[in-house]
Amino acid sequence: MSNAAAIRPGRPALPEWVRRLPEYLTIWVPLLLSAAHLVSFSLWTIWISFTPSTLIPVTGWVGLRNYTAVAASRNWQIAFDNLLLFGCAFVVLSAATGLILAILLDQRIRGENVLRSIFLYPLAVSFVVTGTVWSWLLNPGLGIQKLVHDLGWTSFRFDWLIDRDMAIWTIVIAAIWQSSGFAMALFLAGLRSVDADIIKAAQIDGAGPVRIYRRIILPSLWPITITVVVIQLQFAISTFDLVRALTNGGPGIATQLPALVVYDLMFQRSLLGRGAAAAVLMLLILLAVLLPYAAWRYLQRRRAAHA
Amino acid sequence: MPDRTFAPSRIWIYLVVSLIAAAWLAPLAVVVLNSLRTNEEIAQGSMIGWPQHLAWSNYAAAWSGFCVAETCAGIRPYMLNSALITIPATIFSTLLGAVAGYAVSLWRFRGDTWIYGIVTLGLFLPQQMRLLPWTIVLRDIGLINTLAGLVLIHTIQGLSFTTLFCRNYYVAIPHELIRAARIDGAGFFRIFWRIILPLSGPILIVTVIWQFTHIWNEFLYGVTFTTGQQQPVTAALIALSAAVADIPQHGVQSAAVIIAALPTLLIYLLGGKYFVRGLTAGAVK
Amino acid sequence: MPITTTRRRLLAGSVATLALPAFARAQGAVKPRLTAISQWSAGSDGAAITALGKKFEEKGGVWQHSPVPGFTTEMMNKLRAQIMAGDPPACSQLKGPEIAAWSKIAPTVDLDAVVAAAGYEKVVAPDLAKLHKPGGKWIALPLQIYSTNMLFLSKRAMDKAKADKIPLTWADFNDLAEKMKSGGVAFPIANGGTRPDDGQKFEAALAGISPLAYRAAIMNLEKKALEGPEIKAAFAQVRKIADWMDPNVGAQHFSTNLKRFVDGDMGMMIMGGWAQGVLRNAGFKFEDFTIAPGPSDNGKPVFLLNADAFIFWQRKEPDLQAGQTLMAQLVMDPAIQTMYSQITGSIPVRTDVDLSGEGWSEGQRTTAAALKNAIASNQAVLSMAHNMAQENGMTAAMIDVITEYVKNKTIKPEQAATRLAEAVEGAR
Repeated sequence: MSNAAAIRPGRPALPEWVRRLPEYLTIWVPLLLSAAHLVSFSLWTIWISFTPSTLIPVTGWVGLRNYTAVAASRNWQIAFDNLLLFGCAFVVLSAATGLILAILLDQRIRGENVLRSIFLYPLAVSFVVTGTVWSWLLNPGLGIQKLVHDLGWTSFRFDWLIDRDMAIWTIVIAAIWQSSGFAMALFLAGLRSVDADIIKAAQIDGAGPVRIYRRIILPSLWPITITVVVIQLQFAISTFDLVRALTNGGPGIATQLPALVVYDLMFQRSLLGRGAAAAVLMLLILLAVLLPYAAWRYLQRRRAAHA
Repeated sequence: MPDRTFAPSRIWIYLVVSLIAAAWLAPLAVVVLNSLRTNEEIAQGSMIGWPQHLAWSNYAAAWSGFCVAETCAGIRPYMLNSALITIPATIFSTLLGAVAGYAVSLWRFRGDTWIYGIVTLGLFLPQQMRLLPWTIVLRDIGLINTLAGLVLIHTIQGLSFTTLFCRNYYVAIPHELIRAARIDGAGFFRIFWRIILPLSGPILIVTVIWQFTHIWNEFLYGVTFTTGQQQPVTAALIALSAAVADIPQHGVQSAAVIIAALPTLLIYLLGGKYFVRGLTAGAVK
Repeated sequence: MPITTTRRRLLAGSVATLALPAFARAQGAVKPRLTAISQWSAGSDGAAITALGKKFEEKGGVWQHSPVPGFTTEMMNKLRAQIMAGDPPACSQLKGPEIAAWSKIAPTVDLDAVVAAAGYEKVVAPDLAKLHKPGGKWIALPLQIYSTNMLFLSKRAMDKAKADKIPLTWADFNDLAEKMKSGGVAFPIANGGTRPDDGQKFEAALAGISPLAYRAAIMNLEKKALEGPEIKAAFAQVRKIADWMDPNVGAQHFSTNLKRFVDGDMGMMIMGGWAQGVLRNAGFKFEDFTIAPGPSDNGKPVFLLNADAFIFWQRKEPDLQAGQTLMAQLVMDPAIQTMYSQITGSIPVRTDVDLSGEGWSEGQRTTAAALKNAIASNQAVLSMAHNMAQENGMTAAMIDVITEYVKNKTIKPEQAATRLAEAVEGAR
């Protein structure tokens, strides 16, 4: 643990490592605790996924039985399909919404502070509250559809919440509402760090706004887009409270998601081993997303180093 | 950067942006309106509607009236519990994350990339999966059913986010600054205190906002690792909404939702500007 | 199967407390104290447990109830955490076969002496008693009983249908629903959209068609019965019910629709007795609705038993042990059961409580009579939808199939029956 550019003071009263102990402790203790809990919790879950644990953790070995049971269950299959649909739709749409909002806010409009707060405030609200409130709004008997009917347009239909093919989109709506403010903030941050001189130069050359966006600004947002996508994907995969409050997996089991299945197996059905297996499968999905990202980052950094 | 002469028909921008803003505000408006309607009124009409007369009593009931089993003190004591969990956990995780981010980015040491990589992976580990391991850990260190236990959980879990964002922010600080300070004989803490911390305003605001809202809104650990009198505000909200043996209390529930969300809303309102500014520096790298 | 340190430690710790006489002797010497965990935090449930706590305190006890708001799952998370920490509550809410399952992970209190002293065994329905003494000894005590298949009839909807006869069989029920429909009742069935709600529709249908088939298929999981014609018939009946429900309910709770039910906009509700407590607390009058046993094709009432209970966990503190004894005595006390049931709308566990007096509703008297008749004709069965018939894992697997069937009208009854049998196999 040597330091690259450590300065040796003139009179070392104590050995170096003792003198710098507080420093080492401050650096290492929190980081090690954090890393240790992540590694050990993951290993623990992997271990449990091979045991016959039900109500509480027990030892024993059942091989891949928990995995085959989870993979064969309708709940998991539906949850997996939903994750593909929800993950893609949510990530693309929330990133797009965030980008549009950021571009709009970047037009030096009046009231930017107020508008930014409006798009950011859903981040302050808990998922449970978001889910509950949207379950009111989207419920055809209580919310928007009822309101429109009461106003006289009785043939109006907006009943995705109870339509098993469309219900997953209600979760997309609520999730976009809640989290595209974050994408907006990131994109806005990116837009604000585009070099103003380049834009000036392009303007002098007679480039119109659309052209400037397409040729100069948007390409420079590429790294931020990746960050947004990864963060939103992470959000999509771990979506739990929101679905529980909004549809609770229904109608029927049409809006199951992996995080919901994990919790349901582990704690509602008291099948800890199977729940752990589902959690490990979830981690594998995460890795499938994160590894390409990590590889991309690595390549990017290598390229930067060579340049 | 586009400026005023840039777009010809700026009226469109305002129109579009106000429409979206209205849509974004609609859920809040519905909750605010419902918080002023009586339960009967909501049951007769729909969840969306103007109050016939303002039922301020909902707020009184929400703040200090409704019962969670024997305790009829409204949401007030739970707000205090949440504050006792959230404030220390936010401070600890932010400070420790800042130090860790500083160490990883500017004070390179052996193994830093590895440990930093692992720590940031924590962002992606689902909460439900960590519930039982935390039970075992809290049991073994004797912190089950204490607020200190929850503070510990949120501090350690929070490090993933705070370290990530602080590190990305500090990477942009010129290394020459640090090198010069070292030549002047400044140590690890001195540099942090004198140089890094004064520069950290924007990113600390981001992490404080993020940590505060996440911990404040947390439910699963909050009910599992506390007993009745220490439960966080989310537990009281759930008690109002999951009324199996009651007709829906939408009015009081809405008022409670508003009160419970005030601290986090306020933080976003006051810090929103700095949030974007901090992200500009912190997340882009 | 070897057990982990958690359980070994617990068991080791409990050896010292196994001496039972200490448990009985403890009371009187110390101030009884009770730590309890339940999910009962709101509405009539919250009011009832609070009243019970008051009684406990009146007897000189210290009442330390920790409500865990939300679903039963969160209550169980809390209980599991306490057990794993070696610090279980003195007593906690738990019901049905979960009592047996959980009693395997931590030592429970042997209540035989207290139960015998109160002469309780002979006033509890035998099927119910069995659930609370899984190893042959009483470790848990039922507190109140509901039937999950009570039929609530809206007076105004009955007027619209120009009907006054309570339907006895499913054929009567279907006739009445049709009459309501043509009489202008928008939705003949009032319902919620939660998973137990859907489960209740199915169990009411199957048990009403054949209590024998219900017992064999749902309670005993007999393969032949699960593939029998009654299951298909039950699914067919559920389809009819589903067609009469308001599809707009989404995942809302049944109580969202109570006002429309009372107004006659919805006609009938198949729900547990707790709906009565909710209706009353919401300010509706008993004249607004009638309560009858759910349809039964053989004419004799079928009772789908749902009972809330407390399980008692071993503690070595003398004050907690004294508290457990006091709590056990209170739970078995006819006066306490009367008080509790009158708040929640349930009926007492004790079969010897007289319900003719003031404070009891006609609905509760009907329910109690139905239970008596059902026991006599062996038609009192355990509710699947409310986790009385099977452990949670099995129940959830069954409800997956049922709730999907209720919400998806393209699934045929035969298909649903096959899926149910498969789900049971998969969850065994």
